[in-house]
Amino acid sequence: MDSKTPLENLYNIEPALSSSSRRNNLSANSKSLGGNSIREVNFSDLGPKPVKYGSRGAESEIYSMSQREINDEDARLIQINDPVKTNERFEFAGNSIRTAKYSILTFVPRNLFEQFHRVAYIYFLVIAVLNQLPQLAVFGRFASILPLAFVLLVTAVKDAYEDYRRHRADKIENNRLASVLVNHEFQQKKWKDIQVGEIIKIHANETIPCDMVLLSTCDPTGVAYVQTINLDGESNLKTRYAKQETLLKIPEKESVSGLIKCEKPNRNIYGFQANMEVDGKRVSLGPSNIILRGCELKNTTWAVGVVVYAGRETKAMLNNSGAPSKRSRLETHMNLEIIFLSVFLTALCTVVSVCAAVWLRRHRDELDYLPFYRRKDFSEEEEENYNYYGWGLEIVFTFLMSVIVFQIMIPISLYISMELVRVGQAYFMIRDTQMYDEPSNSRFQCRALNINEDLGQIKYIFSDKTGTLTENKMEFQCASIGGVDYNGGKVSSQDQKDGYFVQVDGKVLRPKMVVKTDPELLQFARSGKETKEGSHIHDFFLALAACNTIVPLIVDTPDPTLKLIDYQGESPDEQALVYAAAAYGFMLIERTSGHIVIDIQGERQRFNVLGLHEFDSDRKRMSVILGLPNKSVKVFVKGADTTMFSVIDRSLNTSIIRATEAHLHSYSSIGLRTLVIGMRELSTSEFEEWHSAFEVASTALMGRARLLRKVANSIERNICILGASGIEDKLQQGVPEAIESLRTAGIKVWVLTGDKQETAISIGYSSKLLTNKMTQIIVNNNSKESCRKSLEDAIIMSKKLTTMSGTTNDTGRTLGASLTPVALIIDGTSLVYILDCELEEMLFELACNCSVVLCCRVAPLQKAGIVALVKKRTSDMTLAIGDGANDVSMIQMADVGVGISGQEGRQAVMASDFAMGQFRFLVTLLLVHGHWNYQRMGYMILYNFYRNAVFVLVLFWYVLFTCFTLSTAINEWSSVLYSVIYTSVPTIVVGILDKDLNRQTLLKYPRLYGAGHREECYNKRLFWITMIDTVWQSAVVFFIPLLAYWGSTIDASSIGDLWTLAVVILVNLHLAMDVNRWNWLTHATIWGSIIATFICVIIIDAIPSLVGYWAIFEIAQTGLFWLCLLAIIITALIPRFVVKVLYQFYTPCDVQIAREAEKFQARSESGAVEVEMNLILDHPRQ
Amino acid sequence: MSSNTPSSSAGGVGSADSAAPRRNSKRPKYSKFTQQELPACKPILTPRWVISAFMLVSIVFIPIGVVSLFASRDVVEIVDRYETACVPENFRNDKVSFIQSPSTNKSCTRRLTVPKRMKQPIYVYYQLDNFYQNHRRYVKSRSDSQLKDNSSWDDISSCKPEDDANGLPIVPCGLIAWSLFNDTYNFSLNNQQLVVNKRGISWKSDRDSKFGSDVFPRNFQNGSLIGGKSLDPTVRLSEQEDLIVWMRTAALPTFRKLYGKIERDLQPNEVIHVTLENNYNTYSFNGKKRLVLSTTSWLGGKNDFLGIAYLTVGGLCFFLALSFTVVYLVKPRRLGDPSYLSWNRNPGGH
Repeated sequence: MDSKTPLENLYNIEPALSSSSRRNNLSANSKSLGGNSIREVNFSDLGPKPVKYGSRGAESEIYSMSQREINDEDARLIQINDPVKTNERFEFAGNSIRTAKYSILTFVPRNLFEQFHRVAYIYFLVIAVLNQLPQLAVFGRFASILPLAFVLLVTAVKDAYEDYRRHRADKIENNRLASVLVNHEFQQKKWKDIQVGEIIKIHANETIPCDMVLLSTCDPTGVAYVQTINLDGESNLKTRYAKQETLLKIPEKESVSGLIKCEKPNRNIYGFQANMEVDGKRVSLGPSNIILRGCELKNTTWAVGVVVYAGRETKAMLNNSGAPSKRSRLETHMNLEIIFLSVFLTALCTVVSVCAAVWLRRHRDELDYLPFYRRKDFSEEEEENYNYYGWGLEIVFTFLMSVIVFQIMIPISLYISMELVRVGQAYFMIRDTQMYDEPSNSRFQCRALNINEDLGQIKYIFSDKTGTLTENKMEFQCASIGGVDYNGGKVSSQDQKDGYFVQVDGKVLRPKMVVKTDPELLQFARSGKETKEGSHIHDFFLALAACNTIVPLIVDTPDPTLKLIDYQGESPDEQALVYAAAAYGFMLIERTSGHIVIDIQGERQRFNVLGLHEFDSDRKRMSVILGLPNKSVKVFVKGADTTMFSVIDRSLNTSIIRATEAHLHSYSSIGLRTLVIGMRELSTSEFEEWHSAFEVASTALMGRARLLRKVANSIERNICILGASGIEDKLQQGVPEAIESLRTAGIKVWVLTGDKQETAISIGYSSKLLTNKMTQIIVNNNSKESCRKSLEDAIIMSKKLTTMSGTTNDTGRTLGASLTPVALIIDGTSLVYILDCELEEMLFELACNCSVVLCCRVAPLQKAGIVALVKKRTSDMTLAIGDGANDVSMIQMADVGVGISGQEGRQAVMASDFAMGQFRFLVTLLLVHGHWNYQRMGYMILYNFYRNAVFVLVLFWYVLFTCFTLSTAINEWSSVLYSVIYTSVPTIVVGILDKDLNRQTLLKYPRLYGAGHREECYNKRLFWITMIDTVWQSAVVFFIPLLAYWGSTIDASSIGDLWTLAVVILVNLHLAMDVNRWNWLTHATIWGSIIATFICVIIIDAIPSLVGYWAIFEIAQTGLFWLCLLAIIITALIPRFVVKVLYQFYTPCDVQIAREAEKFQARSESGAVEVEMNLILDHPRQ
Repeated sequence: MSSNTPSSSAGGVGSADSAAPRRNSKRPKYSKFTQQELPACKPILTPRWVISAFMLVSIVFIPIGVVSLFASRDVVEIVDRYETACVPENFRNDKVSFIQSPSTNKSCTRRLTVPKRMKQPIYVYYQLDNFYQNHRRYVKSRSDSQLKDNSSWDDISSCKPEDDANGLPIVPCGLIAWSLFNDTYNFSLNNQQLVVNKRGISWKSDRDSKFGSDVFPRNFQNGSLIGGKSLDPTVRLSEQEDLIVWMRTAALPTFRKLYGKIERDLQPNEVIHVTLENNYNTYSFNGKKRLVLSTTSWLGGKNDFLGIAYLTVGGLCFFLALSFTVVYLVKPRRLGDPSYLSWNRNPGGH
């Protein structure tokens, strides 16, 4: 290849350029808008898809506010190759990392400290501490601490194990070797010893040990490729550049010195801002000049860089944080009920203390001598009160003691069980083979572990379009060039099956992806640029091949004579365009910082890249200034039609413009993404003028981004139109069906896209979001007043349409059933005027009447704004699903954020609560897992309330028969073990494994999802019914033995054992009665718990030092004991059973009917459903 | 996009998985467990099932109720409340001083008539009312280690306020032991002494393991306030059965304690003369004292409650079974009929 002396060539052409680092800026990737300016962590605009944004100026100005220059005080100074001096003034972190949280010494205090951040544990602790006071000691010292100690210990062991693994990983990581420059030669040094300021040499395929500024690479132009899969999950190669000024220095031979002034460590992996002073020159550095820890060097033999951030200050380490935590709706509701339970607890304690007060007052004269009270201690010289602190204090103590005794009224264990259950549910969601995406080899991911049950109550879905509904695999479909529409691409003849190729040095070079071509256009493209059409086509494809930031990579194949060109780049649109250009004979072969090589119809041509204005969401276009081989200079512009037509010279080629506009309209109406391409030849004076302005702008220290945008705007004008391209964005598999299901389930699907209205509507139709039956209301306005008016009209119209078609209630029961559903289509411009002002209310009202809402041309922040609009005004759950960086704000705003782990990088996944490979998995996730999780969790919470309250109430009843002195017949160990061993496991297992309905049924009747919307499994009514049932059951448990043993010789321990066993069996049978599916695990845990309880009671009663020694053996010999047990269990459960039967039989809920149908109609209707889904393996029997 | 991630699921064992797992694939391994398809039984409350359940309960409960009721009726019980009757008329207004005075004559004679034939063994109980043996202060005031083992005779930390007297530890210490019941009964039938067997009235397990055979009472009832019975310091604790019975504290404020057994049958209308020593002070808290002679059945003492409870529940279930049958016949619903689904019931749904 002739890339041997690119620099010299460049210098020859434009010697003036050598004084600056401009060329490096030119080729900086399109992601860092505005050149090297740094941006605060603001994911919303970092997206790699140029054409997708629909943000308006207003937002962009806000964005640019966040751009800032480095001030001296928050700068970090690095002396290149002088770590001693670098580190003497500032304490920079070394490169050893510690992801481990604890050391052996700090483990106990730190781990305890962290564990006690939970309110639950503090409650435990306070109770345990109270119990240590001698006046309040209800339980033995050990018994009271045991549950807390147990939980703490289990968590600590888990943490310790995890930390041990981290320690090991850290050790391995810290002891890896890297070549560090010491005394003019590279020596192997451990990673942990690397210091800021040192120069390091990285070889191909090595992992980069810390964040470094590139100084030089094996490539003469200073290019290095890195793979950032460990950092952001993107598998394509990224190009990074060394600066011109340092490129030729060889550290072994000459001493390199200089000063880098860079920003403080931050977690933005797409931003970096620094200045470098080397050889007296000042050079600015941007994100394209830095390689980050964790990346791997690829396709580059070596690269040398200077360490700027090390160890914990590297961007990779700073980004090591978990997903943001959200709290589930059910849990919020539950907390309300817990407050009620605390009130109830307080009431119980008050009752006890008031009764105690009355009792003490009535017997105040007898207390001294009462044989069972004996206030006076006569054994001492002076008679004194023993353990009596006066009437008032005794009441206070009684109150506190009753809090201790009744503590489990507040189901603290519930929080722990819920966490376990969620882990279990997540395990099954991750393992679900139907949510595994074959093409991307990705499983479902559960990133947030505390909102599983929210999936069962989603009412609104906000979906991104590109990459979420569609595959984001762009395919060039058709082009309009010079006013002529070429869209015959579908007829690809056999002979061009392998597409276009070129031969280099006897080797065949071929694009990796084959694009279908239009034969007519192919013919024209080959015919050269002699004809007018030919030259148009030539310029068009030249623009496609040149005006981008794609890096071609040559990939070897097993066939030595065949090499493939892989076009790597961040924008799939650009990739599609470059592949298309290659297919038509304009093959991009090489791109370096200063030039590109394009093989045009077999003839290799070299173009100097004189300048490049990157895409930004404000201009919505990018341009490149090329020095052509014939010494002419041209600017090629490519961008969205809205902004392109404003810079196109309308006086030229009016007919072409008109024809192109028509074509654009037809392209977008069939769902294609369109781009307009234009070109202008620059005169020398124009070029000079632009060049000096560009020079100033790109080296400016203040407001660089703004200056560069200004320069770009000055050159991007009077453009002569070349044509337009149409790129197809294919719908993902199963999207229409998924949307159909979700909407039947009563979920409103809103699509928020940056695409054009026509494109959005056409995708709407193809995804069955819009149907022909629907009436569309379109809101496109340019001012607040017109927005207001059209919203008013729209509301009236939508009301007319929906009321005509019958009643619509809020529960979504008849949603989608109205005769003329309304679809609202609104664009970003209108939203600017609507959001954040009083019009929001109207929009919300309107949107509620509509079954579909389509927002097009919306900016990332607007997406979040729309989600917030709904979230603020309803209590309904919202879910946002998206794949790109521009969806991050929306994903974080919604109650549930789902990321698509697809083509577009990982930011969406990183911000999400759940991640999956395909949009259609949403159906399984919500309708199946969401429904299950909601049902399980709702039942579990109610059950846990009941379970603890029943026990507390039994204790409470007994207190009424002990002079209100909080003595318990139930052994203290049994009280402690009650929620730890006796009853904990079954509810967890049922919470993980129980299924009210089959997957097949849930998918067949999506409307069963409405159970979650109607809060059927957990609501106030159920809570109160459960509580009434609880009082009844506890009364039965307590009073049957009481009456049966009244006036008998029964001792406290024996009757206590009876109560213990009765409660445990009752509580477990209560659960058993509500289990929907009995598999062996359910059987094992429920019956196992009962058996375990018997064993525990026997063990406790076999300890001679306890009061209850041998009680269970004595009482179990009597028939009365067993008869009491039987009577308690049956009597306690009868009311619940009767209510349940009546309810299920005469006002059956949908779930109940479906469950019956599942059981009784499975045989008759086998077939259709089962073939489609997995085999039904469990044959219902009875 | 074949990544080189470690294969976590290569060679899945899942039998029914048709798609052969690809190498390096992250496809979750198929198993009935992970897909939540374990074979399971799905119980549904069908009318037949519900009615049979109710019938079953009533079939089981009603006979049990009848049998229990009969068992309870078979028990012959003689109850004699004596706490007022055994105080001389002149002390009736100040019973406490009567009982506390060491000089008053506490003897008292009662006549009990046997209503029905009583088969041996006839258990003699004393019953106390309004005596809270389950009071927290009371229950805690004992030392199990001291009772068990002579070597820890001075382990009296938990015994307050009856831990030591005259500077020496009390064995057995604590309120429970201190308040040991000390009324005594002597029975005679036709002027002939009725032997009351006081052996074996406590739990064997208590005698063997809770009360040591090498522990003897020391310094007991030597304090300024005498609570109850004194113990013979020459008899080992494991043989002090009254104490053992008393120390097994009652669950409820009205309780009986076994006093002894009469091991002969009593015929109807026989009159038993009881000479009792009314020593125990229940007057300070208005406690009642009763002497009870009772036979037992397999169900224990005389208590109709359980029988009535069983009959009630059984009857209720029978009634429920009947009414469900009627209701089901009047207004049946076909189970699993999709036309009952809410969206099919509501007009306006498509």
